[in-house]
Amino acid sequence: MPDEEVLEEGVLNPVQPEIQAPLLQSLLADNEATPATEPTGEEAPNPLPDPTDEVDCVVIGTGAGGAPLLARLAMAGLKVVALEAGPRRDPTKDYATDEKAQSFLFWNDERLSAGQNPVAFGKNNSGTGVGGSTLHYTAYTPRAHRGDLKLHTDFGQGVDWPFGIEELEPYYEEIEYFLGISGPTPYPWDPTRRKGYPLAPLPLNGAALLMQRACAQLGIQTSPAANAALSARYYQEGIGWREACTNRGFCQAGCNRGAKASMDVTFLPLAESYGAEIRADAYVTEIERDASGRVVAVVYEQHGHTVRQRCRHLFLCAGAVETPRLLMLNELALNSGQVGKHFMAHPGMQVWGTFDEDIRPYKGIPGGLISEDTHRPKDADFAGGYLLQSIGVMPVTFATQMVRQRKLWGQPLRDYMRTYNHTAGINILGDCMPHAANYMELSDEKDARGLPKPRLHFTAQENEQRMNRHAEKIMRQIWEAAGAKDIWAFERYAHVIGTARMGLSGDDAVVNPDGKAFDVPNLYICDNSVFPSALSVNPALTIMALSLRTADKFLAALRA
Amino acid sequence: MPHYPEGTVRALLQTELVTPATRAALEARLNAPADYTPQFFDADTYQLLRAVAARIFPQPDREKPVELAPAVDKRLTDGTADGWRYDAMPPDREAYRLGLGGINQAAEAQFQQPFMALSAEQQDAVIGQLAAGEAAGQNWQQLPQDRFFEEFLSELTENYYAHPLAQEEIGYVGMADVPGWPHVTPNTLEPREPEEVK
Repeated sequence: MPDEEVLEEGVLNPVQPEIQAPLLQSLLADNEATPATEPTGEEAPNPLPDPTDEVDCVVIGTGAGGAPLLARLAMAGLKVVALEAGPRRDPTKDYATDEKAQSFLFWNDERLSAGQNPVAFGKNNSGTGVGGSTLHYTAYTPRAHRGDLKLHTDFGQGVDWPFGIEELEPYYEEIEYFLGISGPTPYPWDPTRRKGYPLAPLPLNGAALLMQRACAQLGIQTSPAANAALSARYYQEGIGWREACTNRGFCQAGCNRGAKASMDVTFLPLAESYGAEIRADAYVTEIERDASGRVVAVVYEQHGHTVRQRCRHLFLCAGAVETPRLLMLNELALNSGQVGKHFMAHPGMQVWGTFDEDIRPYKGIPGGLISEDTHRPKDADFAGGYLLQSIGVMPVTFATQMVRQRKLWGQPLRDYMRTYNHTAGINILGDCMPHAANYMELSDEKDARGLPKPRLHFTAQENEQRMNRHAEKIMRQIWEAAGAKDIWAFERYAHVIGTARMGLSGDDAVVNPDGKAFDVPNLYICDNSVFPSALSVNPALTIMALSLRTADKFLAALRA
Repeated sequence: MPHYPEGTVRALLQTELVTPATRAALEARLNAPADYTPQFFDADTYQLLRAVAARIFPQPDREKPVELAPAVDKRLTDGTADGWRYDAMPPDREAYRLGLGGINQAAEAQFQQPFMALSAEQQDAVIGQLAAGEAAGQNWQQLPQDRFFEEFLSELTENYYAHPLAQEEIGYVGMADVPGWPHVTPNTLEPREPEEVK
């Protein structure tokens, strides 16, 4: 078989079988460690147990897409089970303030990155564990703007969302209060909001203050950002009091205090307090259907066992790579031809500089300051827009990004890194147009489970390139005004979006405006894969809003 | 450029300013045995890897350098990945074999000797060619030179700056975060944050 040949060629001298998946390694290790519970070799393999217990809903994935709806469904009295591929950990004991030691937070199964601008996965954007990618998100929670949802109307490019911002606003308000968002009131770029943020902004660190000062000189309005990290103690139903952020600056490698509103300290304990069951280390492989095409059960691997869970409804919330991968592997919801298509990633260009000031970039919320003056720049030669953010950074992340860009080695590398404490950065978060050249497919190369690795093609198109040029110029101006020396830019792309788009018709979309699959009567999808366009803001808050909205639409249909 | 006093991180690891999980991660690197036996690479290739790493991170200031090769060998033995790889690159194990072989080919092409036999200046010349994407050798027909150098440099850099001694060198003490950082504005240090040595 050709696939096996590829596999053999790929590994010239396997010391062990080509287990590149840490998750599977740990499963195998667990398996070996507990032989007593395994069937003896004499027994013939039993057919998969077919338990009669059927739950109302299975939710695959416990990140920003799965966790809020899990809580909503449990609170409605439904029997719900969440399947999470990664482990459940105790942040207070298990998390180290050490970037390398925290690599377990990331989805480290290998993905193949193709195209002219190959996207980095793993720690750049893909999480695992109970809480999903919110375990490592920076906790930026800006709302999308009205115009972000109607790019085609406004620019004749991209696509419109099938509904307007008013559909999301009530959920934004609810989530901001539930999570305890720290942010400015009124919000400078949306001053007419009905409700302000529940908590005051977090303190501005070195990078934020430098950006604030320079932007003031240049006439660019700034504000402390909205962050899902607590600036004061906050009471959370299902878990109790969450303590305030202590400015550890470690959001992207895991908060050990519960100050950051990751799903494991917010929606998931709420869901469990209403009877939801969360099964960790449960890697879904199959989605079973009956003759009519209804999903009837989900099959997953857990601790070396294959388990089947029957369900009346399935919510697929595995993120914009694993969601389409599961659909493709199970040949599910493929009629529109849109699964895997229109993969998008936010332009996230960073500009770094060295300052006289002693900054210590490991301190404080990494993204302290924001400007949305560039949401629709007057001098733009591109559609859409972007926001500007200050960035703090941890040393290993900074050093590895820096060498990828600057290729320093030898003494110049060590010399440059000695200036780490004098380093500060700014970056953008820009909209990305859906494009046919950017997509995900299953490759011929197999992972340790024997499943095809996903291959993602991404090339920044003319619009993204123009936006990058515009943004780099502004960011360099800001950093020059702030007094930076040795300024350099790093072109990068963050967040994984698209691949199972939402739309009005099954001819060109995978799910309808309620998040329900056109092809499958009891399948809902809710994560960043359903975004028709990328939005010019960090996606987590909008994913959570969609999650609650999807649950409400589902519950309304159930009761109808 | 700034210099910082030695011993800062090692002293902090002895205090309650560092959590047990953090201490365990950093002390494992600090106390790694000096006599690592490679599991993935054969002995010669492993020595070649060490020699190249010693030019990418020259450490004339240290009696015993921070060893960067063991973590590479260990990772390739375990077969762990970091979530992605360039589609244009072969799998990591093959990339390292081809890349290290290619460095020897480049050394032979320029100096008619293997990399290990070259002087430090000659070795730097070979690495400079690799960094510029101009190294000679047939292996580079199967391996994109720029991507290999980027990935290799990035992995060594991660291993180096994850080490407590490298963190002392750049004045990083973010691991000592148990009390938090109440002062985050520029030029406001906590007593446990080292001042630069003039």
